[in-house]
Amino acid sequence: MDKRLSNIFDHFPNQQRDDLIPMLHQIQEEFGFLSEEIIIEVGSYLHISVNKIYGVATFYDNFHFGPIGRYHIRLCHGTACHVAGASTILAELEKSLKIKNGETDRFGLFSLEVVSCIGACGLAPLLEINKEYYTALTIESVKNIISHIRETQNNEYEK
Amino acid sequence: MSFTINVNNAPIDVQEGETLLTIMRGKGIKIPTLCHMKDFAPSGACRLCVVEVEGKRDLVTSCTYPAEPGMVVKTNSSRVIKARKAIVEMLLANHPDDCLYCERNGNCELQWLAEELHVKERRFYSKKNSDQRDHSSSSVYRDPAKCILCNRCVRVCEEIQLVTALEFISKGNKTKVNSAFNKGLNISSCIDCGQCIMVCPTGALVDISHIEKVQSAINNSKKTTIAMISAGFAASVAEYYGLKQTDNPIGIVTAALKKMGFSKVYDMSLANDLNVILEARLLKERVEKNIHGPLFSSCCPSWVEYAEKFIPDTLPDLSSVKSPQQLMGRLIKYEFNEGANRENIYTVSFMPCVANKFECSREENTSRGISETDAVITVREFIRMLRSYGLNINHIDPEKCEPPFDNNSNAGLQMSFSGGKAEAIAQQINLMSNGQNNKGFKFTVPKNPGSRKEVKIKIGKHEYGFAWVSGIMEFQKYLNHLKEESRTDIHYVEVMACSGGCAGGGGQPIVIYADKQKNRKKMAQDLQKSISNSVAGLNSDLVKYTLLAGLPENAPEFYTHYHERNILK
Repeated sequence: MDKRLSNIFDHFPNQQRDDLIPMLHQIQEEFGFLSEEIIIEVGSYLHISVNKIYGVATFYDNFHFGPIGRYHIRLCHGTACHVAGASTILAELEKSLKIKNGETDRFGLFSLEVVSCIGACGLAPLLEINKEYYTALTIESVKNIISHIRETQNNEYEK
Repeated sequence: MSFTINVNNAPIDVQEGETLLTIMRGKGIKIPTLCHMKDFAPSGACRLCVVEVEGKRDLVTSCTYPAEPGMVVKTNSSRVIKARKAIVEMLLANHPDDCLYCERNGNCELQWLAEELHVKERRFYSKKNSDQRDHSSSSVYRDPAKCILCNRCVRVCEEIQLVTALEFISKGNKTKVNSAFNKGLNISSCIDCGQCIMVCPTGALVDISHIEKVQSAINNSKKTTIAMISAGFAASVAEYYGLKQTDNPIGIVTAALKKMGFSKVYDMSLANDLNVILEARLLKERVEKNIHGPLFSSCCPSWVEYAEKFIPDTLPDLSSVKSPQQLMGRLIKYEFNEGANRENIYTVSFMPCVANKFECSREENTSRGISETDAVITVREFIRMLRSYGLNINHIDPEKCEPPFDNNSNAGLQMSFSGGKAEAIAQQINLMSNGQNNKGFKFTVPKNPGSRKEVKIKIGKHEYGFAWVSGIMEFQKYLNHLKEESRTDIHYVEVMACSGGCAGGGGQPIVIYADKQKNRKKMAQDLQKSISNSVAGLNSDLVKYTLLAGLPENAPEFYTHYHERNILK
């Protein structure tokens, strides 16, 4: 078993059913997504059927089942953001990243996820990239954010 | 405490705590449901059981609503009927309208409701579920497009059978019932018991049909198609058509099969006897050698699959004797039809079970590319075949099946319900230890339904502990109990995966709103009256036909082996 996984299991010595969701959160934090192998390991550790875990995990939008990009973009599509034009922001993101909601680009750089309210309606429309928030978005500012990230990446590669 | 409520302008006496649905059903008032199942906690998922309660703003679901004193309930007001109709119309919004091509055509709860509520046109449109159909399993076929998310299969699979092969995936309007990681049932934890088929209100879960395979074998002039009927199968057919013991159901089924074109028809009870003799021998040896831990019966293929998938540490204690179906196939292909080209013999077993379809495809049951049993026809499929061949069971004169059958014991019938095989084994051990003289031997079944099904009898020098459980959940509880108490007084555990045994099997006719298990068991017990031999070992034909034909009782052909299965559990 992966050392990182057994470290996470050590946080849950009781092996209770209700450990499942906190455990899945920690695993996703560590590995980026929930792989089939890991779900099977969790199942045998907590004595829960694999299918049950998969059912629980797919219920929540928060969990991913495939690798996400280095920059994971979460675009808010709550009521306030919707009114403030989140749909046009989404269209712009899909156009410039060439991926759809829920997908990861082929370089593994960006992934895009539309989420319900992030909870900052006064700053709508907004998105979150790796826990950094970009607020009061316009099509221009989205373009800038994306090109800025691409530039930083290119610079890193050149180094 | 009891009090009175008013239902449709008539007073009804009720007990406190009863839900409105149970009260109405008890009084013969029909309330439609698609998710309710007897003996399960209500889930309120389908909303079809809504009724109007005076003083309540909204309609309430009667399956979850307990009766209150002075309640005034209307079950058939126009508001209720309108609501129910709207629900059915919405269920039909994404339903494929292919009833004519559906396995459940004519026996579908959704179809009945659409007819009863007079749904005449499509009011709502929605995108149809385009998920792939799952052909991967050898016994259960799943068509996700017909699923109405009633949750019956999910609950049976989890709460009765403990395997959770089916589960709700995703949420909201994307919810689907599927196996783990949306992969096929063949690599899931499914144990092929078919209980999901029995509860599915639509055609989303049906069995993999062998009818066409069998028909083409019958019509192939090179092949000799041989039928073998299990006694439990005949009992179920008799129960379905209301035949009596005196009508000789096995004879009628035999005649029907001959009319369908089967060359020969055998009674599988012979193999049941062989199975009992060999298993009793195993058990006796174990007890004499003082081996701790019980011997588990292996005649239920679904239970064997559960052991292989979930509790591989019990496999060494699982009886290695082949199941009656495989023994019979073996005898027919290799012994009874000597000289015939085995490749051209096509054996079809008639069973009340879908897991047998999985069993006959097991690698262990095939030698040099020739399987012992080629196809399995369930009671449901047989009834369909009778209809499509235009045969009326009430106008068929019974015929005798292929010998040997005269001396068969009633073990075959006993094995069709829970507890029967344990008794047959006990009788056989008594015969082996005490000979025929011990006529006073009695196997008394504990009467109290709540009690653990255990019987302890002293036979010869040793005391034997027999136990029987049906339903995997019950079995797992019992196994845990045996381990926790480290009991050594139980020597034989008869396990059947479906509750009630084969009488509640996954290949039985789907009968909605009626509990037929007891009737099937009663029919099997009735049929025993026409059999004089009650001990497997007294079946002289067995000796004549098999053991003298060069196969000693310990012939490796009669035994099989099991292996752990790595699946998504």
